[in-house]
Amino acid sequence: MSPVPAEQTVYARWLEWGTRVGLWLLIAAFAAYALGVLEPQVELSRLPALWGLPAERYQAMAGAPAGWGWLRFLHKGDHLNLLALALLSLITVVCYLRILPIHLRRGERLLAAMVLSQIVVLLAAASGALAGGH
Amino acid sequence: MRRSSLLLIALLHAAPALAANGGATPWWIWPIALFVLSLALGVLAVVAGVGGGVLFVPIVSGFFPFHLDFVRGAGLLLALCGALSAGPSLLRDGLASLRLGMPLALLGSISAIGGALLGLALPTEAVQVALGAAILGIALVMMKPPGSTLAGAPQPDALAAALGMHGVYREPAGGQDSPWAARRTPGGLAVFALIGALAGMFGLGAGWANVAALNLLMGIPLKLSVGTSGFVLSVIDSSAAWIYLNRGAVLPVLVAPSVIGVMLGARVGVRVLRMVSASAVRRLVVVVLFVAGLRAILKGLGVWL
Repeated sequence: MSPVPAEQTVYARWLEWGTRVGLWLLIAAFAAYALGVLEPQVELSRLPALWGLPAERYQAMAGAPAGWGWLRFLHKGDHLNLLALALLSLITVVCYLRILPIHLRRGERLLAAMVLSQIVVLLAAASGALAGGH
Repeated sequence: MRRSSLLLIALLHAAPALAANGGATPWWIWPIALFVLSLALGVLAVVAGVGGGVLFVPIVSGFFPFHLDFVRGAGLLLALCGALSAGPSLLRDGLASLRLGMPLALLGSISAIGGALLGLALPTEAVQVALGAAILGIALVMMKPPGSTLAGAPQPDALAAALGMHGVYREPAGGQDSPWAARRTPGGLAVFALIGALAGMFGLGAGWANVAALNLLMGIPLKLSVGTSGFVLSVIDSSAAWIYLNRGAVLPVLVAPSVIGVMLGARVGVRVLRMVSASAVRRLVVVVLFVAGLRAILKGLGVWL
């Protein structure tokens, strides 16, 4: 019998595809942004005057949207990059969601509870509900 | 090696003056500089066996013009992308264990969220000084070579048995199966909670600490510790990265060239690994960490801006 549990192989397969898609999207989005193919919301030439500020002041000065607000501006080069980074940060949740039914089917309640708890923690972080403000 | 060390130190010495003049320097200089630095860090990280984030955050926050908020966000995403890329093959080949990593990742990710929130709420100078102190501590930890202190047949403790933190590990070289089991699990969980908080607060990733905690404290075989560390890091950094994303502390112009550079550097590093002495590179990393840690403390205290 293989020492690698089945759910680990499934997790690896989903992780591989998710990472591949996320990284290629990041490379494409950054190329479009840096080469000026997609117009950014904040002009690249303005950035040196802004990137030394704390994140909160940067947002206020640049007029950048808070939380998930960037989803409305995916036609802008800088926000398309955020989509790629958000996808990369979401892959773990997707992989955990994929292995949850495997543990449930086997009756591994403790492992299933742990997987479910991790999904809740990651989704809570992603929701923006925990991010608050200064 | 000596020539590249001198070049790196010279670059680090010259960077603050350029950074202080950041407003006058064309914007595109910085992504190119980040790409080159991250490429070098990617090589060093693989050869020295550390995550990229632990080198990236102190160097970029100390010597580049970006605010610490953005550097920490980038450090987390950099470490996350590295762990995600390495994860599939490690998991498939049994060099990482989900069952071992899941409880540690759950606790670590909760504390990473707390660490990220705290780091973004504290004054920048205080975080910079604490970052410097943490980096100096990491440099001291790295001076000790890894190697398990636990001997004898592996028997899981009660908590590890309940959580299923045991299994069989197949040696990649000989194909021999050897059983493993987590020990000192309550202490291990506590350490991972601390690692998560530090990773979230400073954006350091967590590879440098995960391996030591798994191997030295919990008695996990070294190769399985290294592989599982990547999985745990991917979960911890995902949680903390969301706090930085939602707080607007992620700048694509900083993150993308760094991620691309470090990933390419890691590929080069795998080849370089065969040609250079890993212990010599590890010593170089310790020196760089000492310099970057001191720089962070002096910058935070307003002594060397």
